[in-house]
Amino acid sequence: MISTGRARTFWVKVLIITLLFPVAYLLMLSLATQWIFPSVLPASLTLDRWSTLLGASNLFGSLLLSLGIALSVATISTFAGFFSSKHLAYHPQRSLWIRLSYFPFVLSPVIYAAVLYFYFIKLDLAGSFVGVILGQLLIAYPYSVILFSGFWSERIQQIEKLTQTLGGSRWQIYRRVLLPMAQGLLLVCFFQTFLISWFEYGLTTIIGVGKVQTLTLKVFQYINEANFYNAALASSLLVLPPIILLFFNRKYLFRQRW
Amino acid sequence: MVTPLKAEHISKSYGSEQVLDDLHLQLYSGETLSILGRSGCGKTTLLKILAGLEPADQGKVLVNEIDIQSLSPQAREVVYLYQEALLFPHLNVFENIAFGLRLRNRSEEEIKEHTLTMIDRLGLNGMNEKMPHQLSGGQQQRVSFGRALITNPSVLLLDEPFGSLDADTRSNMQQFFKNIAKQFDITAIFVTHNVKEAMLMGNRIATLANGSLSVFDSIDAFINSSNNVVQEEIAFWESVQARRSN
Repeated sequence: MISTGRARTFWVKVLIITLLFPVAYLLMLSLATQWIFPSVLPASLTLDRWSTLLGASNLFGSLLLSLGIALSVATISTFAGFFSSKHLAYHPQRSLWIRLSYFPFVLSPVIYAAVLYFYFIKLDLAGSFVGVILGQLLIAYPYSVILFSGFWSERIQQIEKLTQTLGGSRWQIYRRVLLPMAQGLLLVCFFQTFLISWFEYGLTTIIGVGKVQTLTLKVFQYINEANFYNAALASSLLVLPPIILLFFNRKYLFRQRW
Repeated sequence: MVTPLKAEHISKSYGSEQVLDDLHLQLYSGETLSILGRSGCGKTTLLKILAGLEPADQGKVLVNEIDIQSLSPQAREVVYLYQEALLFPHLNVFENIAFGLRLRNRSEEEIKEHTLTMIDRLGLNGMNEKMPHQLSGGQQQRVSFGRALITNPSVLLLDEPFGSLDADTRSNMQQFFKNIAKQFDITAIFVTHNVKEAMLMGNRIATLANGSLSVFDSIDAFINSSNNVVQEEIAFWESVQARRSN
């Protein structure tokens, strides 16, 4: 019994180290002045690279831009997906609509963006903040619809009707019944669509035409330039918000529900 | 005396299938009318029309002698209860029962007083904080009744409310409903496909078949009527008895 417990603790530790190592490595690389093979550790560490973030560096601007895009995409797609998936779920052509929701994923987001690029130019949205949000919504919104389509069951419909006869208005039904019941799924959807937007590269490159420099694009730019230290810094910034979001929402995301 | 519920010339069809055909119905204050019928005969459709959850093709519904046909379900004072208790899974027993009062923006003091009284009358003392998944099927149904009764509805529509319970719990709940119906002076329609349950729960009985509703003035009138399910039931038990004798 004891040995089983110890073995479990050992493997949990191995798992934690395995998961944390890449993050720790990135942080170390972003702080290194010089780290040349075969040295196990960098020659010296410096905070200069991080301190320039708050100064003239455009990396901080990219961080804010990425946050603005990801939060907008996550908020809009979560709520739009929640409300519209209800209408799709109870529609006589339900399966057709749900199948259509998979379209952007079957086609691949990059090809999808390339196909729609013409319309973005015509609408003067290419290379703009709004254009990139709209482009990413074309992937995040169907994802949200697919995620919520399982929530709208016959049972939910019955609860909704029962609440109506108890005296609930449409707004009260949403506020007091449907939104609290979907709370866990709403959080999961928000988190997932935030991640979709946060790490999106191909579609953002096409629709943003290099003018909308998100953090993910910066990371790739530094890697292409073989600037590993700046790439590590940008990557550290890239992984921090999802980790923070996960940490503060862990009790809601992983809580066992009714 | 005001008639709590009256339905006149109700008709409903789905495509070419006529589910309800020029149906009339009247409910007296404080009575329970059992509606008996086979699965798919239109019992649920009738209840949904009365509750405003489904439109009728023609006819009108009056609650307390007021035409409510144009009113939304929330304004009708008619509560529809499904076979399952359908408690709100994110709310505890107290909040489930208090739900209707919160919808009506009653004061916190009033909500507490009314809800605790209801919990006491339902025999659910000490369960205020329990979540629905911690309750048995019978307890869930009690909470469901409490949640409906606290809104003081003019009519309660019960769509096979004990259908998903086991035989013992079902029997207890039937007795429980009889008691609270008397205690709260409930006017209700109780839909079932079980003859014994219909006779046990109703002050009067009606049968629904081929879109037509036949209402019997008393239980005796129902038993003595020819060509009904009671006669079939009696014939069945007589055949069993005869087989055992041989």
